[in-house]
Amino acid sequence: MDPALTPVLQAAGEAHHLATSIEGYVYPNEQNLLWSVLIVVYPYITGLVAGAFIMASLVRVFNVKALTPVYRLALLTALAFLVCAPLPLLFHLGHPERSFQVMITPHTSSPMAMFGFVYAWYMMAVLLLELWCEYRHDLVVWSERERGLKGALYRLITLGVRDLSPAALHLDERLGKVITVIGIPSAFLLHGYVGFIFGSIKANPWWGNVLMPVIFIFSAIASGMALCVVLYKELSWFRRRAVDAACLDEMGKFLFYALLVDFTVEGLDWLHRLYAAEESISVLKQLAEGRLFNTLLVIQLCLGTLLPLLALGATQILPGRIPVWFRQRIYYNSAFLILVGVLAMR
Amino acid sequence: MSSSKMPPQVARLVLLTLGIVGSYGDAWKLLVPKTFGEYGWYRGAALEENAARKPVFSGMKSCDECHSDVLQRLSKYEHKTVSCEACHGPSRAHADDPDVKTPKGTFVDSDCLRCHQSSPSRPSWLKQVDPVEHYRVDRCTGCHVPHQPKETP
Amino acid sequence: MNHVISRRRMLGALGSALGWIASRPAAHAAKAAVQNVLASSHAPKGYDPTKHKWLMCIDVDRCIGCGLCVDACKTENHVPEASSFFRTWIERYIVKNPAPGGIDARGEVLVDSPNGGRNGFPPSLVPREEILRSFFVPKLCNLCEHSPCAQACPVGATFDTPDGAVLVDSNYCIGCGFCIQACPYGCRFLNPETKTAEKCSLCYHRITRGLKPACVEVCPTQARIFGDLKNPIENDPIQEFVRKNKVFTLKPHLGTEPRVLYANIDKEVR
Repeated sequence: MDPALTPVLQAAGEAHHLATSIEGYVYPNEQNLLWSVLIVVYPYITGLVAGAFIMASLVRVFNVKALTPVYRLALLTALAFLVCAPLPLLFHLGHPERSFQVMITPHTSSPMAMFGFVYAWYMMAVLLLELWCEYRHDLVVWSERERGLKGALYRLITLGVRDLSPAALHLDERLGKVITVIGIPSAFLLHGYVGFIFGSIKANPWWGNVLMPVIFIFSAIASGMALCVVLYKELSWFRRRAVDAACLDEMGKFLFYALLVDFTVEGLDWLHRLYAAEESISVLKQLAEGRLFNTLLVIQLCLGTLLPLLALGATQILPGRIPVWFRQRIYYNSAFLILVGVLAMR
Repeated sequence: MSSSKMPPQVARLVLLTLGIVGSYGDAWKLLVPKTFGEYGWYRGAALEENAARKPVFSGMKSCDECHSDVLQRLSKYEHKTVSCEACHGPSRAHADDPDVKTPKGTFVDSDCLRCHQSSPSRPSWLKQVDPVEHYRVDRCTGCHVPHQPKETP
Repeated sequence: MNHVISRRRMLGALGSALGWIASRPAAHAAKAAVQNVLASSHAPKGYDPTKHKWLMCIDVDRCIGCGLCVDACKTENHVPEASSFFRTWIERYIVKNPAPGGIDARGEVLVDSPNGGRNGFPPSLVPREEILRSFFVPKLCNLCEHSPCAQACPVGATFDTPDGAVLVDSNYCIGCGFCIQACPYGCRFLNPETKTAEKCSLCYHRITRGLKPACVEVCPTQARIFGDLKNPIENDPIQEFVRKNKVFTLKPHLGTEPRVLYANIDKEVR
């Protein structure tokens, strides 16, 4: 055998790679998964923010008095997570030092660019304002009591408005209500927009469809409320205070309905896909049965949606039969499962 | 308390808003690149930057400057569509200084087989050989001349 | 008290306005310093992008899958060596014979692209007797009229040039990867060294100097046809191409209006 032939035949031997059928074929550039965990975490966090805010708005706008104990908790939760939300994005960027460019030369056709402004609007005009209105009275009291750096900080945050007369406090109430009313569509916009970022990618059949923003909104609401339940219980335990049973019952009720709507919308999406059976369905089925079997079917569907639905549904249909302590266990565990399920979905 | 006066909360908040918008405007003025928006929503300078890279391959025209006789012979046969640098490698350094050799001057059989190895995926107009079956005495260049494939050495 | 507040407020507003005016010269100086960082370099003189409209077309019947184009592109554009970064690549399609029984006209279709086709294609594991048809398809940026990548970029770092290319401004790209997700043709990747998006630039640095893109330069069979629609030459290859061939584009249903025309591809090509 001619030694010059060796490289040719060697290459032939190296063809262990089998040609894959069209359905499994991945473009060479798409072999590395670019949008991975860091990008997953970001919609999850903004979803929690939106959901927590909706829970807070239930108190202010819809006057669900039973939820008053968690009002401040929900708002602070929303703020805490909103502040952290850009962090995974910054870590993901190839050039985080250029990230300011998104605000300076935002490309108006890009959902990602516009999201910078939606985020800024929500942070400043909705969340911070509402917190300011809610806490202003306490802030003024603390600013007069505390000395040094802390006191200076409180004074700065009050913006110098020290009026504590009933008229001023009433104005705070009204301002807060107005802001919450604006805030509800803003919360929908915040997370619906993240859904739109994925839904607008027509290149990817798994993401690019009309229902994506809607799915994101409702799963966000479910996860945000679940977060409030979990945090309420944990913080009550931490602060050694008793849990308000009526509040928790009410939260469980809203959580159930949010989850039900979320399940319906996602079910609609899948039903439509399976029925229309467009070209992409074969790849999607392969994904669902293969790589995504655990996250989609086991964790998101069974553990994260069906199980909490059944458990929470039981508490709604047979409230008398289930003892309080067990109900609260159900709320807590269902909420936890929902949080995990929504993360699996992301 | 006169009702026509703006309550202090609202006044402070409006001032704060103006301050934030004002500083955003300042930052915007400062940080937008100079050539942005010349041709579209991008830095006009980017066109120049992309065009300023140094080419690596020389192009057949530059080979023609010195090797026009080879190219003349080449143009009579099937390999007329094959660029010099396809076989000889990127030769810009050689074009700039003829004392520098081209990356590839000697060839082994696998270089010819890269295009001519028979394969069911290759179109039928291409001359293909099965390296095992094809009659061979020496290397490919023992019987074939690369620049004039129809002739013998 | 009311007078004090309103007067104080007015003074404050006036003061801040004066301060803003006074800061203008300093702001200009600062802006100049920042702009210098982003100043442009010197490119081929005399090239006017509005006077050209470049296009590449692919004749699949002429592609022999030698991979010289992929190799040349990697060399010319200093693309990272790893086998998952390509500005252009070749796919081999193998249509097998239908299974006996007369149910299908054609059998299974297999696709592969070993290292993008850079070193040619090793013989397929499918024996020759089972193959009904087989061909190679070179892929590259489709030069879309309505590029979804340019639409998706949040900062304006990737864009359609007036002369028909789609470029990336790697000094402005923030590396978010949105354009990479948005491209339906898989022609983009994130360069692990520069951490910016990268793609076929139609060898912009060559075509502005009157050279051909590297892939077109080394293609031995003229499977890649390149030309300037605004300045056709004698026997312009693009004009001949569109006259002689039935042409197709990839994924037309997505509305991206890809300008790269493919001749003689099979229905299986995505």
